[in-house]
Amino acid sequence: MSESDNANGELLIDCQSVWKIFGDRANVAVKAVVEKGLTKKQVLQDYNCVVGVADASIQVRRGEIFCIMGLSGSGKSTLIRLLNRLIVPSLGKVVVKGYDLATLSAADLRRTRARHIGMVFQSVALLPHRTVLENAAFGLEVQGIGKLERNRTASEALEKVGLADWLSRYPAELSGGMQQRVGLARAIAANPEIILMDEPFSALDPLIRRQLQDEFRQLTKELGKSAVFITHDLDEAIRIGDRIAIMKDGVIIQIGTAEEIVLNPADDYVAEFVAGISRLHLVKAHSVMSSIAEYQRAHPNSDINALTTTTPEADIDELIGLTMQSDRDGIAVVDSGSVVGIVTTRGLLRGVKGTQPDELAAA
Amino acid sequence: MNSSSFADAFDTTTDAALEWVSDNGGFIFDSLRSVLEGLYDGVLSALNFAPFYVVATVAALLGWRVVSAWFGLFAGVALVFCAIIGLWPETMSTLALVLTATFLALLVGIPAGVVAGFVPALDRALEPVLDLIQTLPPYIYLLPAIALLGYGPATALVATIIVAIPPAFRLTSLGIRMTPNEFVELGHATGITGMQMFFKIRLPFAMPSIMAGINQSLMMAFGMVVIAGIVGSGGLGETIYGAIRTLDIAKSINAAIAIVVLTMVLDRLAQGAASAGYGAKT
Repeated sequence: MSESDNANGELLIDCQSVWKIFGDRANVAVKAVVEKGLTKKQVLQDYNCVVGVADASIQVRRGEIFCIMGLSGSGKSTLIRLLNRLIVPSLGKVVVKGYDLATLSAADLRRTRARHIGMVFQSVALLPHRTVLENAAFGLEVQGIGKLERNRTASEALEKVGLADWLSRYPAELSGGMQQRVGLARAIAANPEIILMDEPFSALDPLIRRQLQDEFRQLTKELGKSAVFITHDLDEAIRIGDRIAIMKDGVIIQIGTAEEIVLNPADDYVAEFVAGISRLHLVKAHSVMSSIAEYQRAHPNSDINALTTTTPEADIDELIGLTMQSDRDGIAVVDSGSVVGIVTTRGLLRGVKGTQPDELAAA
Repeated sequence: MNSSSFADAFDTTTDAALEWVSDNGGFIFDSLRSVLEGLYDGVLSALNFAPFYVVATVAALLGWRVVSAWFGLFAGVALVFCAIIGLWPETMSTLALVLTATFLALLVGIPAGVVAGFVPALDRALEPVLDLIQTLPPYIYLLPAIALLGYGPATALVATIIVAIPPAFRLTSLGIRMTPNEFVELGHATGITGMQMFFKIRLPFAMPSIMAGINQSLMMAFGMVVIAGIVGSGGLGETIYGAIRTLDIAKSINAAIAIVVLTMVLDRLAQGAASAGYGAKT
């Protein structure tokens, strides 16, 4: 991690080189991994054990939404369960709010889960014999909070997710999207700093899913929560996440912001995923601008100071709009008062297509 | 040693063993007998406290509330019919026997089923015993029971309790084991204690299965009280047994009608109560 990341905020989850190996001989396999540094394939061959998560390290900071994206079988659901110790890691350390989960007593672990880590499941898991309000208050009830207070807190949480009128209904009376809102309300009612989201929106239809994604991001930011969000959908990860980790076969291949991953995929696997992603809102002016010298070489008669201006953070969609309004062939990118580069039509097309500037130069 | 002398020796040993148990365990069986008969008498006198039309009205109202208006009407009329054919006291003693036996069977079967739901080894160990109970013809253990507990309602109660335990036990154990995994996970992620997991998650999910077990136990008990007529259970069972011995066909049919009425009313009321509590919301 670079220093700038450290400066962004307090570390809430620090997951250090965590492994999870499943199988009858998992203990021996773990030893072999430590001593001989076996790979996943060797562990399966020699010990008949499946590596769920291999050497995963992630850090989640206060206020950050961290997405873990991977296809089914990539180990993402195992990884998120390691974060609240629903699954005990075979190797490595998970530190939450400064406490190593492995060193906590059973009671302390329960308290940490109850107060600091909320969780939302793909299956929603609403208790069918309880009303919406009773479901949302479940976490508080478990903590032993009195009925009056927990019902008040739970109704506030339900209000935040837009279900104030549904308190006395039963889960079966709600649509899938509404049920998932109750799941979210249940998680935030206990006011945890961290919310673990295990593919919560996967089973919903696209329109509702998109709406919930936006609401979730907004709500999480508003409440100042941190979230780890599991998904198999890169679009969803980009829409929601501040940073994204991409997993394959139990290994984290790349961690970065959406723009970093789209512009510089770590390998062919990531590149393939990224290929279908619309760059309009991802790629920013500072990634597609050319230098002033280059611009002046191509347009010797153009006056830089007369160009329309924008910020380095403007995305391609915005830049296209500006280019179409302007009668000139460039947009000046201004950072703290001075022009740092020019976005030309050619640069814009390059950004949309996703070709690297150096590839272009070579061609 | 030929086979007949071996058989004789085996029979002699069995008789001696039963005699020994009867002689040495007498005080245990005597106290068991007085406890069971005391309970039975208590329930019976409570039921006899109200005249038949009050019992019929209560059954009709309950039937109306938990099942339907039509069923309420049927229950009331059918019970009055039992009184008209002159079998009201017998019907009530059968009801007392069934209620007492089922209650005691549930008292054993449900807690044991809960434990077995958590301990698969216990479940496996008890499985052959339950199979034995459910396949053994009741006449086989009614006779030794007479030797130990005497002729009368205590023996009938024990026999009925024994057959009523397995369904409650099996379905409770099944219900506890069938808790959906995602809810167990929800519990752990929420920071739940072991007790909370049981009462707030496992038990509610097991409830429909447990209710089905209670209903099955009730039905088994009804089947048994008729057979237990031969050991002096009293009530409709004994009426039917007596009618068979004297070939009084009309009387045996009357008693059979009363048994069917009682079984139907209790069965539907129990099912109605179960679905009113749990079925409607899921």
